[in-house]
Formats: sequence, C-alpha cells, structure tokens
Amino acid sequence: MPGASDGAPDGAAPVSLSGPERSVLVALRATEALPIEEDELASHSGIPLDQLRGSLQRLRAKHLVVVEEEHETTRRLTPRGERALEVGLPERRLLAALERQGGTLTLEGASTEGLDEEERSAAIGILRRRGWLEDGVPFRLRASAGAPPTLLPEEVVLKQVANGEEELDEAIVGALERRTLVRTERRSIKRWAPSDEGRRLPLAADGAEMLGALTPGLLASGGWKDRSFRPYDVRAPVPYLSGARPNRYAAWLEEFEELLVGLGFEQAEGPVLETEFWNDDVLFMPQDHPARSIHDSLSLAGITGKLPPADLLARVAAAHEGRPLPGEATPIGPGWGDHYDLAIAARPVLRSQTTSVSARFLARHPRPPFRMFSLDRNFRREEVDARHGIEFTQCEGILGGEGTTLRDLVGMFRALAEGIGIREMKIRPSYFPFTEPSIEGYVRHPRLGWIEIFPGGMLRPEVLRPLGVEVPVAAWGIGIGRLAMVALGVNDIRELFEDDLARLRGEEG
Amino acid sequence: MPQAILQRDRVWELLGGPLSDSALEEILSVSKAELDAQDRATLTVSATPDRLDLLTEGGLALYLAGATDRAKGLPPARVVEDAAESLAIDVDPSVRSVRPAISAVVVRAPTDRTLDEATLAEAVRFQELLHATVGRERRAASIGIYPLERLSPPFRYALEPTRGVRFVPLDGSDEVGADAFFRDHPHAARYGSLGWVDERCLTIRDDQGIVLSLPPILNSRTAGEARVGDRELLLESTGARERPVRESLGLLLVVFLSRGWSAAPVAIRSGSSRISDGRGVFSPRAIDLASATLRTLSGTSYPSGEVERRLARVRLGPRPHPGGWRVEVPPWRPDIQTEVDLCEDVILAEAIAPADGVVPPSATRGRRRPETVFRRGVAVDLLGLGFAAPYTSVLVSESAVRRVEGATPIRLANPPSAEFAFVRDRLLLSHLEVLARNTRHGYPQQFGEVGPVVVPEPGAESGATTRYHAGTMIARDAAGFADAAAVLDYLFRAVDVVTVREPCEIPGTIPGRAARVRVAGEAVAELGEIHPAILTAIGVPVPVAWAELDLSRLYPLLVGPDTGL
Repeated sequence: MPGASDGAPDGAAPVSLSGPERSVLVALRATEALPIEEDELASHSGIPLDQLRGSLQRLRAKHLVVVEEEHETTRRLTPRGERALEVGLPERRLLAALERQGGTLTLEGASTEGLDEEERSAAIGILRRRGWLEDGVPFRLRASAGAPPTLLPEEVVLKQVANGEEELDEAIVGALERRTLVRTERRSIKRWAPSDEGRRLPLAADGAEMLGALTPGLLASGGWKDRSFRPYDVRAPVPYLSGARPNRYAAWLEEFEELLVGLGFEQAEGPVLETEFWNDDVLFMPQDHPARSIHDSLSLAGITGKLPPADLLARVAAAHEGRPLPGEATPIGPGWGDHYDLAIAARPVLRSQTTSVSARFLARHPRPPFRMFSLDRNFRREEVDARHGIEFTQCEGILGGEGTTLRDLVGMFRALAEGIGIREMKIRPSYFPFTEPSIEGYVRHPRLGWIEIFPGGMLRPEVLRPLGVEVPVAAWGIGIGRLAMVALGVNDIRELFEDDLARLRGEEG
Repeated sequence: MPQAILQRDRVWELLGGPLSDSALEEILSVSKAELDAQDRATLTVSATPDRLDLLTEGGLALYLAGATDRAKGLPPARVVEDAAESLAIDVDPSVRSVRPAISAVVVRAPTDRTLDEATLAEAVRFQELLHATVGRERRAASIGIYPLERLSPPFRYALEPTRGVRFVPLDGSDEVGADAFFRDHPHAARYGSLGWVDERCLTIRDDQGIVLSLPPILNSRTAGEARVGDRELLLESTGARERPVRESLGLLLVVFLSRGWSAAPVAIRSGSSRISDGRGVFSPRAIDLASATLRTLSGTSYPSGEVERRLARVRLGPRPHPGGWRVEVPPWRPDIQTEVDLCEDVILAEAIAPADGVVPPSATRGRRRPETVFRRGVAVDLLGLGFAAPYTSVLVSESAVRRVEGATPIRLANPPSAEFAFVRDRLLLSHLEVLARNTRHGYPQQFGEVGPVVVPEPGAESGATTRYHAGTMIARDAAGFADAAAVLDYLFRAVDVVTVREPCEIPGTIPGRAARVRVAGEAVAELGEIHPAILTAIGVPVPVAWAELDLSRLYPLLVGPDTGL
C-alpha cells in the first residue's frame, strides 16, 4: 500500500528532539538501575514529573525509550466500611437487635437500634435472602433458621481488607464494593529505559547544534564539516504519491492497431458527427431503413448539414433509385425503388458505424491494392446493458484490389483471431445492406460460448460504383468492445469507460 | 433478428418427414436462420432480415428439403392461367398523393382441400411480421387477406370522403361510420395517419360497393375476414412504393404455394389503362449470373455443374446461360435482386470453414495516421507527468452541462436519457464528471485524457467538426493556474513552439484566472482554475486547475495541413 514509511530513507524526517526530550534521554542514559520508575527518575534528574511524563511519551513515539508497565491493585475500606468494621455490619446489628427483642422487632424498633433507613433496607434484604428473617412486618426471626453464625463471610473479608491481605474472596469483595464498603484502587507503574536506538542516538555535545537539512549553502561553505546530522525517524509518514498507468482499454486498442498495421493496414479517421449521406446513403442503406429511425440513430438539435459534392450525390441517388449512374446506360440494380430524399441526405447524425470512414476513404479513389482500418467511436440509441452501450468502439477494415475475394476476408478474420490468441472460430452467413455476400465470424469464448465477433462481406456494387471504385473490396466492422471484454476479462461493456482514479492508478483491483 | 415460433409437425409434414434435432441444428447453423429454442411442439427460429421466408413453416420446409437433398430447384407452383378478366383492382387517381402503390394476387386451395386452421394462423402471423419488417410498421406496405368467394370483383381502391364510408371493423360486430372509426378505434389511432387525409380515407370496395378494408388500418368483418373452409383468397398489399408492396406479397405467397395452393393474377388498372397484369407478383424472376462475377467475389473456380447444384439446393432455378447461368428466383426471395445476391447463395449454400480463407500477402505498408501518432505521444507525455488516464464518453449528461454556466455543446435531438443528452465540445465537461465521481478517493488527484470532442462549425459538412483534445485536471491543496500553465508549457516545449497566453473568460472557471494560449495566432489551448461554485456542487474539497489543448489545431501548425481523413 502506498503511504507505508518503510523503505523511504531519502524522504524520512530527521529525529528531532526538543530540549526536555533530550534532557530526559540524557538522564535515562545516565541511570544505572534500569528500568526506573517515573517518580524516581523525576527526583534524580530534577525534571518536573508532568514534563517528564510528556517527554517520555514523545520519546517512546520516536522509538527511543521502552517502557515496562505493571498494574497494582489495592483494596481499602471506605468510611462506611470502617464504620461497619467498628460497629458491625447492618445485618449483624439487625440480628443482634432481634435477639435482644426476643426475635420480633417492629419497624419503629429497628429505627431505634441505630440503623438508618438505607442500612435497615440492606440488612432486611440480606437476612431474608439468607432465610433468617420471615417476610412481613413486624420482623421475625425464622424459627427454622437456627443460630446466626458468629462471623459472617462479609465480616471476614472486611477484616482481611482492613489488614491489607491480598488473598480475598473476589465474589464477596465485589458485593462489598457494590455496597460501597470496600474500594478497589488500580495503579499503573511505568518503568522506563532507553531503547537500543535511544542508546545509539548521537546526542551533540552540549552547545553544539546538529545539522538538519543539507542545504546548498552548507555544501558550498563546507559548514557541514565537523558537525553531526540529526538522524531521521525512518518510520515517520511520507508524502502520498500516485502513479499513472496506461488505460487498459486504450492500451488494448493500441495493441489491436499494432496487429492491423502489421498486416499492412493503414489507419484512417472520420468525423464523429456525419451527415446521413456518409453514414447511410453512400452505404446503400435505404432511407427508410429501421436503423435510421429516431429510435435507433442519434440526431442533433440546432445544427444543419450540407450535401456532398454534386457528382457523388448524383451517383449515390441513382443507385438508390435504381437508375443508371450518370453517363451509363444500365442501372446497377433495381435500387430501393423510392425517391431519393436530399433533405434526409443532409441531416446530421452521430456516426452509427465506422463504415462511413471506409466510404470516405474509398471516395478518395485510393490506388489498389489498399488496406485500411479505422478504430473509432460510434453511437446508437440502444438499451444500455452489460453487452450494449450507446457509445461503442468499432474496428472497421477494408481490403481491396484486383483479385480480392471473400476468401481473403475469411483469411483476414482468421489472422485477426489468431493475432489475439483465438484459435477456435466458425463462419456463418449473415446480412448487411452494404455487403454481398455477408458473413459473420464467431469465436469460442470459454465461458460465453460462441460469440459473434467478425461481421463482414464484399461491398456491393451499389456502394463501390457510385464511389468510383472498380475493384472488389472486402469490408468488416468488428464490435471491438466485445472482443476487448473477452481479452480483458470484463463482464460489463460499460466498464471499458473507466474513470475510477483508484483503479486507474492500479490501487484497486 | 426477426423471430417466429413454428409448429414442428407442420414443418415435418411439409418437408415429408421429420429431422433429428442434431440434423436440424447442423443445417441451420450454416444458414441465415438460427434455432433459438425448441420443444416437442414448436421450433423458435430467428432469421436475418433478408430471409424472412425462413420464418414460415412452408419456407423453412422448402429450405430444409434442399439441404437434405429431398428436393431441389424451384418448388412446383401451379398458376391458374384462365384467370377471369374481372380479377382486377381499379386504382382511383385520388390515392396517388396518399398511398399510391398496390399489388394483389389470388390464391386457390388444391381441389381436395380448403383453408385449414394452421395455414390461416400462419398467414395471419406472418402478415403481422411482414408489417413490422418489410412494411416498416405498415408505412411502406400493409397486407390484406380476403375471402374471394364472398366478394364481387373487380375491386376499387380509392380515397373517398369518410362520411360516406360505413363498415363492420374486423374486431367488431356493429357497423360504424368511418368518422367514428377514425375517432375511436385503437388501430386508427396507431395507423390512421397512413390512410386518412382531409376528411377522406382510403378504401377497397368490391363491385357491389361492399367495403373490404380501410387500408392500411383494418379489414371489414363482413367482406374482409378469411375463415377456415375458404377456398379462394385475395391477397393485396398497399404502400408508399412498389418494391415493399410487391415484396411483402411475394413473401406471403410462400405460406400458400409451399402447401400446393395455386396463384392467379390480379390486374392493376387505372382508368382504361392496365398498369400491371399482376403476374409479376408470383412469377419467378430471371436473373443472370456471370461466371466471372462469381469467380471474382468467391475466389473459387467451381467445377462444372457445381454452381447449378448449389443453386438448386437453395431452391432456386438455375440453367446454363452464355457466360454463366440464368437463375429463376421465386417471389419469396426478394433479397435476390442482382447477380451479386446470387453469388452469395452459391458461396454460402454450403458451410465456409475458416480454413477456406487465405491470408493474402500484404502488398501494402501498414501505418498509423501521423496525427494519431502525435496524439498518442501527448497521451504518453501526460502519463509521464503522472496523470491517471480515464477513458470517458463523448456524450455527457444534462447535469454536466448545466453545472458549467455558459457551456454550449450540441444537444441531441432525441437523447436516450438525461445521462446521454449532449455531445461534449470540451473534455472539461467529462472531466468534471470524473472529479465528481472520485470524491471518495481523497486527494491529491490528477488525471489527463486525449479524446474526441465535437465543436459546432456552420461551414462544415455535418455542421460540426470532430477535434481531439488533451485535457488535464489537477486537484490538490493549493492547485492553481500556474500548475495548469506548467502542464501546457511542458507539452508545448515537447513540440518546440512559442506560445502566448492571453486572459479570457471561459465557462466553468474563475473570472480573472483563465487564459487562452495561442500559437502563431491560433488559439490552441485553454486553462484556468475551476470555479468554486462548481467544486462545491460536485463535492470537491480542494482547488482544481484545468488545462485543455486542442491537438487538432496544434498538429497542422506543426506539420502543415493534414490532407488525410
């Protein structure tokens, strides 16, 4: 744990002694019969007892003195106890009165026997509990009780206490204490001696000042020569330091980037805020696709977007409407059979898939062959749970060129899986509006079973041709957060957005 | 994925025999359908949105028959060629502005059978699934099923004044006027806007003027309720555009044609002209597949006859054609529109193993974006200075924005919750949240993050630009402006630039203790002491110094404009 003082020699405070502490330590070290009681040390050294006690405690905190502590117990009679010893215990006196009165005594009669009200009550209670007195008033000796003992146990203990004896019946002592006849006094006796450190601690000769901090001035002047340094209390608390560690999710993402870079992919980025043209239209997502509704995508208030360059817009619109691209005779396909709405195309939206980054990359007409990746944040209006977040990171990748086929994509999935240590994988058919064929790579998780990790496919002609790309392009969009959960042993995707400083500093698991 | 619960016995009956659980699971594991659950009576199946046909007992049985080599190619479909001329729907021009598209088809039971309970139940269930998917909640398409024997064709689809429309709603027993229907009925409340405009509503009537339905809302009970025992059904679909209308009907047909029912065309007419003879609804479409395209996408040269075998296995009708194949596609496969769609069926007709993939040798040089590398460098610098590294969300809460008086981040028009209501324009907004969530950990605290923010910019294509900021917070006794300035000074020294600090007012900071930093005249950083009102509100008991560097502005100043994305 941070904050422990051990092992912090450079930062430890010097052992600093006040004048009285120093005097007490000197006196202790000069004493032959050790350990020594405080009173005795006070009288030897002439240090006032109060001051001596304070200094000893402070020296003890600095580990310079040690103490042996002994507890002494003394029992004394209270004034009431002394009176009972002298005139008899109330119950003895009541018994005597009863005997005097022939075994019967009225309430008034008891009062005249010198018992006050408290004594009378106590005596009556004791005698009734012991079976010598019958219930009710007037008080009567119980006939069957026999003759009272000549000496009650309480009377024995009272005498023992008065004689200073130590072997006592503790139960009776307790009863007498409760009756405030006996008082127990406990005293702590402390005997002090210097500790090994206290003996070793250099104490400057009288009048010579020990050096504290080694200052540049002392170094320059040589003033440290022939003087001793005040030692440090190496156990003293030190300042609290916090380290910084790489964020584990960010670090893992970087590792994944390394893998892609190693496979020949170059990185691209795109804006977090897109128009629907780049987020959806250019990917041949129909403008009325459910994923584009306000229930699934996040739109913005108070800002307006603009349409892309007119020639690109015209080509994408033609693909959507099933018309030939400008300058061509036949359409790519039937399109979505709907009027392409420019107002929708210009609407700003928070990026829902990094495929828009791929589209922007392709729109620059990269020279084939090309490989591109993007690892960035996306946003969907999802129900938040352990596997779904509103904000999530996707790893987008494309590879294109003459001869790029679906087999390349499957091979790339395999390479990526193996790159992060996953060996077991299977491929299933899938569906995405912008790829055909579409597949999904599943990997086996030891606890979760088969989980879908690698969705991808070959980009459709309706995507590529409007962008002016003439070569086949394989594309994927990995939900990298889910993969990170597997790799980092995280059970809730929200934990990837880590902001707990104790955990970030590695102080909590 | 869309899901359906199918009757196991009905699937086996249509398949011609049962499959073991393991065989069924194995076949579906390489299909676009998935077996989510099963018991003795039912199979719970989900499918990708392009293969809704697999969510019917008939469609699944057709697929399984191909996969188990019990049948191949297009299923035999009987078409009634001598359809009566009167089987037509006359479309009134009034519908054009409201819901112009309509298609219809008649299905007839085999001579020895009538509509049974299971077929009717599946048709109604699948009709609702189509409404939710292809139909986009009836906006794009909605389907009606009617007993043709109790109707008098031709039919008329029109927009007519509600005051003249009376019918018995399918779920009612008394005749009501359309005015009352639109005012009171729950279906009208939900879908009314799709079939009503200016005191007029869409209707389909037969030749006797009997109302079949008020599309796309509800059928009439008297003329629009198909029942067990019916032999002839009229299926129609209306919508905003042709494609989903035609696709929804084509998909529904699989319920009937897979059970041996026949189809007859229903012409669509407008005035004296015929818009469609109605055959396109149920006739297989022919799509050509070039062998070169297949080779290009698959990376495989299939041996002779293999492509036909695979296509026939997935119940398509291939035949050789110059340069490739001509493939007949049934109406319940609207996912196949072009030759690349056919390629998918060829390639995925049988399982793909990871081993089938090849890792292509790289002819490209992998690299990170230089700007990203620069940003990483700054993040490493912050770590080196001992700043813990949180990873925070771009979306910030309503309360996070409200606490910084004067902050103007972009608001979400449809926030999912108050927790995710704004797009941050400064890391400051996120980092105050971090401070607020860490008050239990004691002080000193210091953390820094490099992350994206979104800043409104009217000239930008999406109305805003994405920038990357490096933000730091120092919370400790006596933290102050100089601490924040020292961090920035360190970072600027690392890239060897000359900076000028100028006083300014920044939301969230103490007036007079905030500054902007310029490099070559460009504002690239802000810093200041967080206002005590904020610290008090979030429970931070020590002063906090904040600095935020706009790396997206600084980077071009260091290397020139970035031409990349």
